[in-house]
Amino acid sequence: MAKILVVEDDKDLNNAYKIILKHEGHEVVGVFDGKEALDKIKDFSPDLILLDLLMPVMGGLEFLQNWQKTGTKNKDVKVLIFTNMENSPEVSEAYKLGANRCIIKSWTAPHNLAHVVSDTLKNGDYQENTKAKK
Amino acid sequence: MTASRDGTIPKRRAADQAQAEAIFTSVGDGFISTDEFGHITRINPVALKLLGYKRQELLNAWFPEKIIAVYADNMPVSLIDRPITKALLTGKPISEKTFLRRKNGEIIPVAVTASPILMNGKPIGATQIFRDITLEQEVDRMKSEFISLASHQLRTPLSAIKTYSHMLSDGLMGPLHKDQLKALETIISASNRMNELISTLLNITRIETGTIAVTFKTVNVCELVSELMPELTLMAHNKSITLKIKQPPKIERSRLRIISDSLIIKEVVTNLASNAIKYTPDNGKVEIIIRPGTKDVRVSVKDSGWGIPLHSQDQVFSKFFRAHNIVKKETTGTGLGLYLVKGLLDAVGGTIWFNSKEGKGTNFTFTLPRKPSKNLIQI
Repeated sequence: MAKILVVEDDKDLNNAYKIILKHEGHEVVGVFDGKEALDKIKDFSPDLILLDLLMPVMGGLEFLQNWQKTGTKNKDVKVLIFTNMENSPEVSEAYKLGANRCIIKSWTAPHNLAHVVSDTLKNGDYQENTKAKK
Repeated sequence: MTASRDGTIPKRRAADQAQAEAIFTSVGDGFISTDEFGHITRINPVALKLLGYKRQELLNAWFPEKIIAVYADNMPVSLIDRPITKALLTGKPISEKTFLRRKNGEIIPVAVTASPILMNGKPIGATQIFRDITLEQEVDRMKSEFISLASHQLRTPLSAIKTYSHMLSDGLMGPLHKDQLKALETIISASNRMNELISTLLNITRIETGTIAVTFKTVNVCELVSELMPELTLMAHNKSITLKIKQPPKIERSRLRIISDSLIIKEVVTNLASNAIKYTPDNGKVEIIIRPGTKDVRVSVKDSGWGIPLHSQDQVFSKFFRAHNIVKKETTGTGLGLYLVKGLLDAVGGTIWFNSKEGKGTNFTFTLPRKPSKNLIQI
């Protein structure tokens, strides 16, 4: 159905998200930091990036900044921030750098993750969602 | 008062004035006083240093023209919104955080207390005391970073426990028998409680250090609440509680669109709804009702639970409050949930109130403004 790049440094969670999203029929690749993500998007061309924020080597915010600088950032690629840092300045910053939505890992069961990914692919962020309904 | 023949009274008056001047000069924060028309009558050395002016540049000048308060984006605060104006209009001290613009154009964050000077109940002027809070904000920022890191480290393994438990119970790794599923429910429930506790502690610390980051975006309240329903329904199902959501007809749902913070709204609803379920006996009812107002959206969470005793109702939003009638029945609460809910709603400009009758149930209602007021998007 869609091509999804999972960017998550925790190996167990990275593996879990791949299982959950493959079960939904998506083509999924997992990487462990922002630097690996920058390399992967060149040949994988994802429809959606599931992006953790706090990672070693290169975190989520730095990835978004560097991706913009490459000039290859495609507006059609949805970015879903998946973090445990709710109500933090980092989440606000991620939105400014083009993230579409943010969900909290510790609140989100697998069936919710699959639903939010599906919804984000279809509708983008809440703003786009409400515009579409007009 | 007439002068005495030996000049004692004028000498005493001069001594009193000198003492008053010494007290005024030694105040450790910036201190400015004005007459009833807003002209600066006194200014101490700390204020001059903080603002970068010389005394003669400010004495007798009109306060709002020279002492410029701005928002974080350096746009001026309007006269009516200035603490000193509010103090004069209300007759009460007003304490706020704001930014002031120095003579050289630099802006500094300050904590301000403006008070009216009253004589026989009539305002004859005002005072403004202020201090530079740059260092305090830096310390708060460091505390906030530490808390973010600590909570991330605690929550990552918990996320793995929850995710894999759900994957097992959802059958993604093959079928399980009844006892295995029951065991997984226990693991999921315990990890949820741990997550809630970490989340609550993290957010309370952020609220109390003023470092809660609010992201204002256009959101639909109905959609946000709907996203929470799967987990809340599972919680309710475990106690055979009927959980319903009441919302306007589809044609009116666009009126539930507001500019606010989606994560804060979800946290508030989760807290109130999970409290409602927790404090309602088995086979009871919980309803979430969403309706649009003219300037806001209102959400009510109503239950048929144990209710809050009348004598405890004024403490409901206090830290660590737990009503005595539920402490014995339900021992897992921390008493922080409603304190957190109030703090989160303050951050987005919302309000909250409730009605409750012991033995009958409780109804919490909160409002979310359609758009945030300007002072919420600064410090």
